[in-house]
Amino acid sequence: MSFLQNNIYYIGAFGLIMIGLLTVLVKHNLIKVIIGLSIMDTGINLFLIAIGYLRNGTAPIFSSPEVESILMVDPVPQALVLTAIVIGVAVLALALSLAIRLYKHFGTLDLHKIKELKW
Amino acid sequence: MVNPVLLIAVPLGLAFMVPLIDSASRKLTRFVPVAALLFNLILCIRLIPAVLENPIVINLGGFTPPFGINLFVGPLGLLFAGLISLAGLVVSIYSLSYIKNGPVVKYHMLYMLLLTGATGVVLTGDLFNLFVFFEILCISSYALVAYHGDRAGIESSIKYLIQGTVGSGLLLIGIGFIYGIFGTLNMADIAMKIATVEQSTLFVPMILMVAGLGVESAIFPLNAWLPDAHSSAPSSISAILSGIAIEVGLYAVARIVFTVFGISDIYLFFAFLGILTLLIGEMCAFAQSNIKRMLAYSSIGQIGLILFALALATNNTVTGGLFQLVNHTFSKGLLFLSAGYMIYRSGSMEISSLNGMGKRMPLTSLAFTVGAFSLVGLPPFAGFPGKFLIVSGALLKGEMVINILVGLVLLSTVIEGTYFFRVIQALYFKDGNGEQRKQAPATAVTAMIALMILIVALGVYPKFLADFLSSASSDLLDKMSYVGSVLK
Repeated sequence: MSFLQNNIYYIGAFGLIMIGLLTVLVKHNLIKVIIGLSIMDTGINLFLIAIGYLRNGTAPIFSSPEVESILMVDPVPQALVLTAIVIGVAVLALALSLAIRLYKHFGTLDLHKIKELKW
Repeated sequence: MVNPVLLIAVPLGLAFMVPLIDSASRKLTRFVPVAALLFNLILCIRLIPAVLENPIVINLGGFTPPFGINLFVGPLGLLFAGLISLAGLVVSIYSLSYIKNGPVVKYHMLYMLLLTGATGVVLTGDLFNLFVFFEILCISSYALVAYHGDRAGIESSIKYLIQGTVGSGLLLIGIGFIYGIFGTLNMADIAMKIATVEQSTLFVPMILMVAGLGVESAIFPLNAWLPDAHSSAPSSISAILSGIAIEVGLYAVARIVFTVFGISDIYLFFAFLGILTLLIGEMCAFAQSNIKRMLAYSSIGQIGLILFALALATNNTVTGGLFQLVNHTFSKGLLFLSAGYMIYRSGSMEISSLNGMGKRMPLTSLAFTVGAFSLVGLPPFAGFPGKFLIVSGALLKGEMVINILVGLVLLSTVIEGTYFFRVIQALYFKDGNGEQRKQAPATAVTAMIALMILIVALGVYPKFLADFLSSASSDLLDKMSYVGSVLK
């Protein structure tokens, strides 16, 4: 039980990553694939946060003299996640705009029906 | 001394200035990339003597490593930065006349962002920073592949985007693992601490990172997006994607495998992977009837050859691999640029429609021939010394397995020769429908002639580059001096 308790964030993060990856691999609808990418991104961000997280930790700000640095949450992963979220948003926006153009051309979002290019 | 940060800052700043410049003067827009890349090229050339003496380490924001982000400008990084600016300059001269329709402002902006991302990847000394620049490179190339907005372009862009995003996700998970293990993101710091942990714990992050970067660099099982994306992009972008983007991905793989991890047990695996990529790429290229798809598959093959050369990890083979990389950038660029105008003129990408082009567009056909000969590795073109160094360096290792792999390299060269000569035969020895002669525009011809001169010059006098490449290869292989120069 304590294994589950100690690693719950990692389990959740990798659960999300796997759900996202599975969605990307098996769904036929482009919008669902893009949602899968987004879920995967969320999982990765959660994983990065979990690396630096400390139970009952404080914000890494020396607001008062009694705050000890050993109890602080690691700020680096949070900075990374902030950047990763912005990148994720950019990719998502581009993907959705491409999906709109794809629908205009083909009249469908079903990836199995869009097969003009092949090996 | 000039600050190498300008190599990244100037194109990045000018990229976002492009819409402003366009609203001031419409005619000036096209020349912004030319100016920025010319500046970068001059800066790179001026940095050569200083870098050959000692690698330059720039601490951004004044934090000394391992804190903060640092740029590492060694011979290898400078080689790539120079190559990016040179190829970028030539292609931007070509696109002065080639890119006329569509959202021109966005094209120039994204083009410069792509090259900024590529330059950033090769100069950075920080893993997460590498990821960020990599994403700049990837996102702008997704958008540029869809530039024409036609069915094939949008479809291949979507494919590229989905695979690329999953790849960067894997890369980011790998970086997360590394940060969890070592508590640092500085590549030199990680390289120093790598011996303190058990090798088995490093396996998962390394595979994740190599798989993530392998998508962009088109290593064998991960290259399904490449032929579609390279063949449906505008030809100027295909030249950059083939000549710069996948090679920057390969640089990142090599930097992480050799300098950061440096686990020599796995090198033979990469050599096999390289040979597999080479054979698959060349055999698929052989089967194509569409000229741009053929060139795209040939890029996969060349990446495999370079990966094989790097994975043997001796000074000779790595020098040869880097030589082949320089040659691939120039000659594949030349092939795509010349094919671009031949396709424009004949209106079709089929090889059979290029019959008799040698009479209709003599100079463009000559450019294609020079590029093809150089890629196959005929003397006196730049491909010969590269392949020669790879093969002789590999045979010097004297291991049975490597000798067999070298045999496969030579076999693939034969396949490569066959399909390129088939195109050249169509260009010169088959009669096409007799149209009048019409050359490509002057800017395109200038770009092609510049690349031809570079290829022949490097082929006739390879020592000019080989000395620099030799110090670049020791930059890649000598882990201790990399660590030493960053963490003084």
